[in-house]
Amino acid sequence: MKSQQSNRLRSLSIALLLLAALVMSACAAPAQAPAGETGAPAEAAQPAAPAEAATGGTLIIARPTDAVGLDPKVETTSPGNWVMSNIYENLVKLDTDMTFKPALAERWEQLEPTRWRFYLRQGVKFHDGTDFTADAVKFSIERIKNPDDPGRSASNLRPIVAVEVVDDYTVDIVTDGPYGPLLNIMSLVYATGIVSPAAVEQYGEDFTRNPVGTGPFKFVEWKTNDQIVIERFDDYWGEKAKLDRVIYRVVPEESARMLALDTGEVQMVMAPAPSQLDIYRDDPNFTVHETPGVRVIFFGMMTARAPLDDVRVRQALNYGFDRQAVLDNIVEGAGYLPTAYISPPVFGWTDTSEYFAYDPEKAASLLEEAGWVDTDGDGIRDKDGQPLSLLHYSPRGRYLKDAEVGEAFQAAMRELGVDVKLEILEWGTLFEQLRQPNFPADLFTLGWSTATGDADYTLGPLFGSNSIPPAGWNSFEYKNPTFDELVAKAGTSTDQEERAQLYAEALKILAADAVVVPVFNTKETIVTSANVQGFAIHPIDYYLWLGEVSLAQ
Amino acid sequence: MTRYVVARLLGMIPVLLGIVFVTMLTLDLIPGDPVALMLGDNARPEEVAALRAKLGLDQPLAVRYVRYLGNVLQGDLGRSILSNRPVLDEIADVWPKTLQLTVAAMVLAVLLGLTTGVISAVRPGGLLDALVRLLALIGLSMPVFWLGLVLLYVFAYYFRLFPVGGSGTWRHLVLPSIALAAPSIAIVSRMTRSSMLEILREDYVRTAWAKGLGERLVLVRHVLRNALIPIITVIGLQFGQLMGGAVLTETVFAWPGLGRLIVLAIFARDYILLQGSVLVFALSFVVINAAVDISYAYLDPRTRSL
Repeated sequence: MKSQQSNRLRSLSIALLLLAALVMSACAAPAQAPAGETGAPAEAAQPAAPAEAATGGTLIIARPTDAVGLDPKVETTSPGNWVMSNIYENLVKLDTDMTFKPALAERWEQLEPTRWRFYLRQGVKFHDGTDFTADAVKFSIERIKNPDDPGRSASNLRPIVAVEVVDDYTVDIVTDGPYGPLLNIMSLVYATGIVSPAAVEQYGEDFTRNPVGTGPFKFVEWKTNDQIVIERFDDYWGEKAKLDRVIYRVVPEESARMLALDTGEVQMVMAPAPSQLDIYRDDPNFTVHETPGVRVIFFGMMTARAPLDDVRVRQALNYGFDRQAVLDNIVEGAGYLPTAYISPPVFGWTDTSEYFAYDPEKAASLLEEAGWVDTDGDGIRDKDGQPLSLLHYSPRGRYLKDAEVGEAFQAAMRELGVDVKLEILEWGTLFEQLRQPNFPADLFTLGWSTATGDADYTLGPLFGSNSIPPAGWNSFEYKNPTFDELVAKAGTSTDQEERAQLYAEALKILAADAVVVPVFNTKETIVTSANVQGFAIHPIDYYLWLGEVSLAQ
Repeated sequence: MTRYVVARLLGMIPVLLGIVFVTMLTLDLIPGDPVALMLGDNARPEEVAALRAKLGLDQPLAVRYVRYLGNVLQGDLGRSILSNRPVLDEIADVWPKTLQLTVAAMVLAVLLGLTTGVISAVRPGGLLDALVRLLALIGLSMPVFWLGLVLLYVFAYYFRLFPVGGSGTWRHLVLPSIALAAPSIAIVSRMTRSSMLEILREDYVRTAWAKGLGERLVLVRHVLRNALIPIITVIGLQFGQLMGGAVLTETVFAWPGLGRLIVLAIFARDYILLQGSVLVFALSFVVINAAVDISYAYLDPRTRSL
C-alpha cells in the first residue's frame, strides 16, 4: 500500500517535471529573437571578456577535451594540436587547400632520391628570443627520434635516417630509401614542429607545460581541464597575428558548448552538435564552417575466415547497405557518402563510389551465387546447415554515432537475410584486439584518419600484407600481392603524377576486393559567431590556424 | 576520546592499502594497453614494447604494487603516462576545484536541508510540509545532468544571470553547486524531518513543553540537538556521494575538477594517473568517514567504547 502510494507520487512528480520542462522550453523559444537584435549578446552576459575594438581582441574557443601536452614529443591528439599549430611551425605548411606552402623553409629541392635540401628562413626568432637556425631543425627531429626516449609520433619519422646541417640556414633530410610523402611528414606539427632547443634544455620534462616555438602566438598559461591561453607574438617573422589573445576553454558537454556560443561567452565551437547545425546555418549571427574531413568510417571484414573469405559475400554486404539513409537519419548530415577507402582531400584519392552503390537485388543475387539461400524459412540465409551469421564489434562514442550506425547496418543486413550480432566494446578493449593477430569477430567498426594528407599513411599500414597484426592494422588479414606492389612503388616514387596513378589503381583493387564496408566520409565542422573573420577550416582536424583570424566589431 | 581518535585514524591505513591494490588489479584485468592507445595508429610492436619497458609496465603486478607503495610513502605518485607530468601536479591543479564544489554543495545541502526539514517537522501534514516533501521528491529523482542542463538553459541562457561553464568567480560556482546539491538537500531534509518527528514524541520533549519553554528553545535545544546524530551520518555519507556526483556535474558545467581527471585517466588507461587520483579520492572519503565517526563520539559518549 505504502509503496503503491509512493509510486503514484513519483509518477505525479515526473508528470509535473515534464510539464515544467515544456513550460520552460515554450518560454525560451522567443529568446532567440532578442538575442539576435542586440547583435552582441556577449557584453550583457560577461563583462569580464576584454573586447577593445582598437586591438585584435580575444577569441574564446570551446572544445570538448583538454590538450594532453603542448610538446610535439608528447601530444598526438587534436585538442593539443589546435593549440600547437599556433605556437609551433614546421618547415613546410600543408595549407587548407591541401597544397604545400613555405613556412620555416623558404624553399626546398630534392638533391638525390633519398636527400632533400631545405633552405631556411633567416631572421626568425623563437618566443624565448633565441634565433631559429638549422641546428634547431636537427634538434627537434632527433629529439622525437631518440631511440632511448622516442616521441609518441616517432613512427611517422621512420623513413628519416639523418638530419644534416649544411650551414646555419640549410639543412638536409636523408631518408632510408626514396620516399614520396616526405613533405607531408615535414608538415606534421606533432612530429616535426620546430621547438626551441634552449627552452627544452631549460624546462626538461616540463617543456610540455612551457612550450616555446616560432609561431604567431606564444604560450601564456594553462589551467588543467579549464583553459589554455596564448597571445600574439610581436616578433613574429611574418604577418603578425591580428588577435591579441586566444583562450581555449574545455566544455565537455555538447549542449553547453552551443549555449556558450549563444550567450556570447565563446566565439568558436569545436565539435558542435550535429543535430543543431541547421539552426546556426539559418542564423545570420553565426557562421558554420564545414569541409570534407580526412577520416573514413568503415566496417572492416575478417577476410581470412569463412564466411567473409568469399569476396561475393563481402560485395553483397556493400551493395545491401543504404548509406544515404544512415547519413540522413543517424549522423544527421554530419558526413558524406563514401567515395573511396580514403577521403577526397587526401593525395592519391580517386572515385570508386560505384562499388558502394545501394543495390539490394545485386546483393541478394551475389549471396545466392555464393550458395547462401534461406532453405529453412527462418529469414536467415544458410549453407550446409550453417546460418549466415556474423559477429560485429563496435565501440560506442569513439566515432560519431558509431553504435547506432552499427545497429542500422544490422537492420539492413537482416533484410538481406544476414544475421549480424552486434557487440559494443569499450574503445580500449577493441583497440587491443585490433592489434592482435586473428581478430575474433567477423566485422568491426573503425574510422581511419589519413592525418598526413597522403594515401601512403593509410594504404600500407591498413591494407598491406606486411601490416597484419601485430605488425600493423591489417586486421582484415587482407593479402593481395598486386596491391602491395602498387603501394610499395607509390611510396618510393617521388613523381607525384605517377604516385597519384598508382594509388588510384590500388584504391580500385581494394574496392573491388571489398575489404571493408565504407560507411561515410567525415565532415569537419566548426561553428563561429559571425564576427569571426579570416578563418579557414582545415580538412585535417589537427590544424587550427588563427594567425589571420580577426574579430569584426 | 584521544585513544578512540587514534585508533580510528590508524584503521584508515589498511583501507588505503587495499584501495591501491584493488585499483591496480582492476586496471591490470581490464583489457586495453595504455601504451598502445597512446602511440596510436602507426606504432610498431617494438616501439610499444620499448615504451612499456620505460614505464615499468613490463614488470609483474606484485613488483609494481610494492614499488608504487614505496614511492607513495616518499610522496611521489609518479608521472602520468598520458601527459608525462607528475601526478601530484595534475591532482594539485584540479583537486581544490572539486573540493570547492563539494563544500559549496555541502553547505547548501546542510543549510537548506536542515531548514526545510525543521519547517516540515514542526507542522507535519501542513501545507508547508507537503510542499517541502514534494520538492524533496523532485530533488531526489532528478538526474544531475538533466537538472544541470535545465539550470543552464534557464539561468545562463534565458536570463543570462550566470556563465554557461568554467570556473573562476563565485558566479561560476552557483549553478553547479545547486545541481550537485539537489539530491542531498532532499535527503537531508527528509532525514531531518523524520528524525525530528521521532524526538518530538519523546517524554522529555513533552516535559519541556509542559514547563513552558518557548517553541524555539524546545525545537533547537531539545529536539534538533538530539535529532542530529542520524542527520550527521547522512551528511557524512552525502559528502562522499557529492564527490562522486561531481564527475557528472563537472562535465555538464565544464568544471575543471578531479572527477573529470579520473574519467580521462580511465579512458586512456593511464594507470599511474588513475591510481593517484583514486588514492586522493579515497583518502578524502576515508577521512570524512573518520570525522563523522569521531563527531558521533563527541555528540554521544555511548559510542566511544566501540
